[in-house]
Amino acid sequence: MWDFKGVDYYELDALLTPEQKLIRNTVRQFVNESVLPVIRESFEEGHLPRSLVPEMGKLGLFGANLKEYGAGVDSIAYGLIMQELERGDSGLRSFVSVQSGLVMYPIYTFGSPEHKKRWLPKLASGDAIGCFALTEPGHGSDPGGMESKATKDGNYFILNGNKTWITNGTNADVAVVWAKLDGVVRGFLVEKGTPGFSAVKIEHKLSMRASDTAELYFNNCRVPKENLLPGVEDLRGPLMCLNQARYGIAWGAVGAAMACYEEALNYSKERIQFDKPIGAFQLVQRKLVEMLTEITKAQLLCFRLGQLKDQNRIKHTHISMAKRNNVAMALQIARTARDILGANGITLDYQSIRHMVNLETVYTYEGTHDIHTLILGHDITGLEAFR
Amino acid sequence: MKVLVCVKRVPDTGGGFKLTSDGQRVDTTNMDFTISPHEECAVEEAIRIIEKHGGSSTVLTLGPEQAQEQLREALAKSVNGAILLEAPDYESWDPAATAQAIAEAAKPGGYDILLFGNECADACNYQVGLRVAHWLDIPCVTGIKALEIQGNKAIAKREVKDGWEVYEVSLPAAFTVKEGLNSPRHPSLRGIMGAKKIPIEKKKLNKREPQLVRKMLRKPQEGRGQIEILGQGVEAVPKVVAKLRELGVI
Ligand SMILES: Cc1cc2nc3c(=O)[nH]c(=O)nc-3n(C[C@H](O)[C@H](O)[C@H](O)COP(=O)(O)OP(=O)(O)OC[C@H]3O[C@@H](n4cnc5c(N)ncnc54)[C@H](O)[C@@H]3O)c2cc1C
Repeated sequence: MWDFKGVDYYELDALLTPEQKLIRNTVRQFVNESVLPVIRESFEEGHLPRSLVPEMGKLGLFGANLKEYGAGVDSIAYGLIMQELERGDSGLRSFVSVQSGLVMYPIYTFGSPEHKKRWLPKLASGDAIGCFALTEPGHGSDPGGMESKATKDGNYFILNGNKTWITNGTNADVAVVWAKLDGVVRGFLVEKGTPGFSAVKIEHKLSMRASDTAELYFNNCRVPKENLLPGVEDLRGPLMCLNQARYGIAWGAVGAAMACYEEALNYSKERIQFDKPIGAFQLVQRKLVEMLTEITKAQLLCFRLGQLKDQNRIKHTHISMAKRNNVAMALQIARTARDILGANGITLDYQSIRHMVNLETVYTYEGTHDIHTLILGHDITGLEAFR
Repeated sequence: MKVLVCVKRVPDTGGGFKLTSDGQRVDTTNMDFTISPHEECAVEEAIRIIEKHGGSSTVLTLGPEQAQEQLREALAKSVNGAILLEAPDYESWDPAATAQAIAEAAKPGGYDILLFGNECADACNYQVGLRVAHWLDIPCVTGIKALEIQGNKAIAKREVKDGWEVYEVSLPAAFTVKEGLNSPRHPSLRGIMGAKKIPIEKKKLNKREPQLVRKMLRKPQEGRGQIEILGQGVEAVPKVVAKLRELGVI
């Protein structure tokens, strides 16, 4: 395996601070040394590479952008972390996105002081794992229609309902569960082992195999009333979380694309057909050039998105544009890379097909590609096309 | 215990490199910078010695303003302090001048242990550590792969064919270390953010006349390796062994 040097055609590195670069390089090395040697096996066997969790905690990758409990890195550094993790595997990046953006962030932002003290240190170190439960069997793109319900009963809330496609579901020590209380969406912290709560692994996935995905069941599950997240009501809560995670996905997708591009480029220089490296043929060159151009455009979107985020000028539609564009481009690049690798491209000896099938999920979760199209369409026309 | 560890900022040539047209330097436009793997182990060893025996560690470099980047990386890994000997023209400093400047800077610090990489990653002169020890008149063990501190003594081991050479020296002493001594840690994000705030002690150096002048660098031809498949499964074993013998590895 060659040493990954990154893809930086437009010298964006020159715009990074020394800390941003050091953070990026640290995660890059971690991925080279600890992730790439084990990821294929995890993917093939269909489980989370759990042994990496404490190491990621030690590095400070969970909640890295939180000022307390985390290192308080800026948005560009945070994005670069996601890029490098997803250069390893989208499943690993998903783990960190969920832990950071969908679990630590809501506890930090909407939680009580007790919630923060109880959970944030453990989640930051990786001693506890979290999951975020919004999607239901009947409600994916339209979470507002959720059927999960909470009813008050003395010092408890009683939760009923099912959640599905929940990343980290079977490994989680705490679930951030969104359910309606008197018709209003609220967030609840449900701990592993709470009677009436169970998680079942979703089997037979052909994508995100190195990530744990589960269906969660709440059957008269009694949650102490203190476990309600006090700081937020209605869909704004989960949507604010999703904005954090989608921001990371926009960067992460670039990492997956870089891995595929680099693999295809190296392969095209070594694979000889008709007495020439295949990279010497015009059609292959065109594919490589288009890959590089798309990656460079996506990097520019990310970089500016990061600046907007740090200046508090970011709109959710900015994030939609980057998520929508970057994931679609990464998926296309993964497919093209797979093509350039020929038959070798269909095996897990190479990375491209793993990235390719993973990106099918990334295209769908956190707002499908088309849902982001509609979000942007709504923003520019003022006309809503969802319903 | 006071430990000083010396590192050198060098271009990261892992992704290939070019020379400048005058053949004097590596063309560093758009290149990343780093320190050698030996020095990474020296930094790690400094941190471990302090973790085990208490005291403080300091990282030093002779180099340009930008070499603060390398110092901060060591600080991020929890080295306690940093010294920059400012020499914008550091690439033209020869090992004798470099060693003299480091020795002068190290003397007032009263360090018990001085750690160096066995060689830096660019010039590979194998000299600075040894020369600093000479200037300070302290013992030096070079190329070590194990180090143990016992009171005011140190046991250092150097790997040789079929075994180890074991040295016992009294402190203060200098050691030049080899990759493999330990496995260097990654800095944590918290460490990186914290290191930003640690002040770096800066000293301006006067240019010294080098005794050793570089004429020119030449880049060797890149060899395109040949891949030879020796066989599959167990049948390949005798051939692999024969090949390793041929290469003198076993
Ligand atoms: C591996 C994996 C991990 C996941 N992790 C989590 C998690 O941790 N937590 C969580 O809550 N969820 C998670 N999800 C769920 C994910 O967010 C949903 O799958 C996603 O929101 C889409 O919902 P759906 O699958 O029900 O598709 P649907 O909403 O049924 O969409 C199906 C198709 O219809 C299209 N469509 C829907 N509505 C419209 C419309 N109005 N106009 C035009 N087209 C429309 C969509 O674009 C899509 O093409 C995960 C999913 C996967 C695959």
